[in-house]
Amino acid sequence: MVPITANFQRERPLHPEAAALLERIFERGWADPAKLHLESRRAAILLQEAKESLAGHLGLTPDELYFLGEPALGFHLGITGLLSPESTLIYSGIDRQEVMAVAASHEQAGGHSQKLRVGLLGEVEAFQSAPTDVLAWQLANGETGILRTQFPRGQYGQIFCDATSSGALVALPEGWKSALWEATAWGGPAGIGIFGLAENAIWRNPIPHLDGRRVPGGFSLPLALASSVALDHHMAEISTAAKKLQGINQEIRNFVATEIGECDIAGTLSNTNPEILSLSFLYIDAERLLTELDAAGFAVDSGSACSSMNLTPSHVLAEMGLLTGGNIRLRLNADIEPTAIAEFLKTLQVKVAALRS
Amino acid sequence: MDPKLIDARGKRCPLPIIETAREVAKMELGQTIELLSDDPATQNDLAAWARMTGNQSELVEVQRFKITKLT
Repeated sequence: MVPITANFQRERPLHPEAAALLERIFERGWADPAKLHLESRRAAILLQEAKESLAGHLGLTPDELYFLGEPALGFHLGITGLLSPESTLIYSGIDRQEVMAVAASHEQAGGHSQKLRVGLLGEVEAFQSAPTDVLAWQLANGETGILRTQFPRGQYGQIFCDATSSGALVALPEGWKSALWEATAWGGPAGIGIFGLAENAIWRNPIPHLDGRRVPGGFSLPLALASSVALDHHMAEISTAAKKLQGINQEIRNFVATEIGECDIAGTLSNTNPEILSLSFLYIDAERLLTELDAAGFAVDSGSACSSMNLTPSHVLAEMGLLTGGNIRLRLNADIEPTAIAEFLKTLQVKVAALRS
Repeated sequence: MDPKLIDARGKRCPLPIIETAREVAKMELGQTIELLSDDPATQNDLAAWARMTGNQSELVEVQRFKITKLT
């Protein structure tokens, strides 16, 4: 099997250094960093070092960084914690379902929300916000790779940043109040979220609590350390990897446009994460294309309705007006050999032609 | 004369789009057809197909679309 892509959850393969660390840690067991034994104190030091390293790469202070054992909980913590009954929650039509769930919950409680329309190239419609409003701002979209590197000027709301797909690729905008990352964005392990809460945020813990804790304490220490190691290596390799990925991405875009045709390619190379490529082929049943590619040894994902259990097309592709049928998603890897890319493209061309005939 | 009607109800993506494209290929420029489709993906995907192929589509009523051949 050629790992052209990871899986449906937008994850990259675990970085080898993070995988090696996890193996060592789980072999040894690990002490609770909150206790007073020597091993526990060592664990506490390592955890603090991990926080400092992660915070440095992600653009916040160690005191603003928290680990979450359930990454998706960060949407609720980060958005609901900033909302007041008077707030309008402003989000976009390509945000993750977790953001939409928070918006629905806010409305059920009597609050207001506003969903911003998104255009074909990922551009968000103009909007205005008041100081009490909360803006859920996605730094990168996990399905299409669309990046949002510029935050619109003149906005006064409280900003929650969804950095779960962007990782360290896009900097936090000035004035951010809360943020969420998933370590999978930089080759870290699944099951660990990094939650950021700005020191100047006016935030109330939306989860029932008895003490001053800001997040539930339950997270895996090994996963937290591995996420830090993975980010260290990711940052060291990012400039070399980015050039390779841009080259691979451009090669695929060119081949699909000229040699296959009738394909809706999401975004442009300049406004997307080069690791992610969303291709929607006209007149193609995505499920059949996935099956054919899988049989040929290539694992790819899809956002098409005919390839999902609930029969609903990707809300991201639909919102942007992109073709939802015949969709495949590629998560590109800088280590893919050029021969594997060439073989994949040839196979894709043959399979698409066969399914269209 | 009423435009030709394609009844693709009960068919899932990409069949409504394939059947529309086949019919449009036989038409003269400016001619129209109508499509009935209850597939939730059709409204979006027909508009995307029209954009990609240079034709025109519009939602006439629920699950009923009008397609005009422009290219």
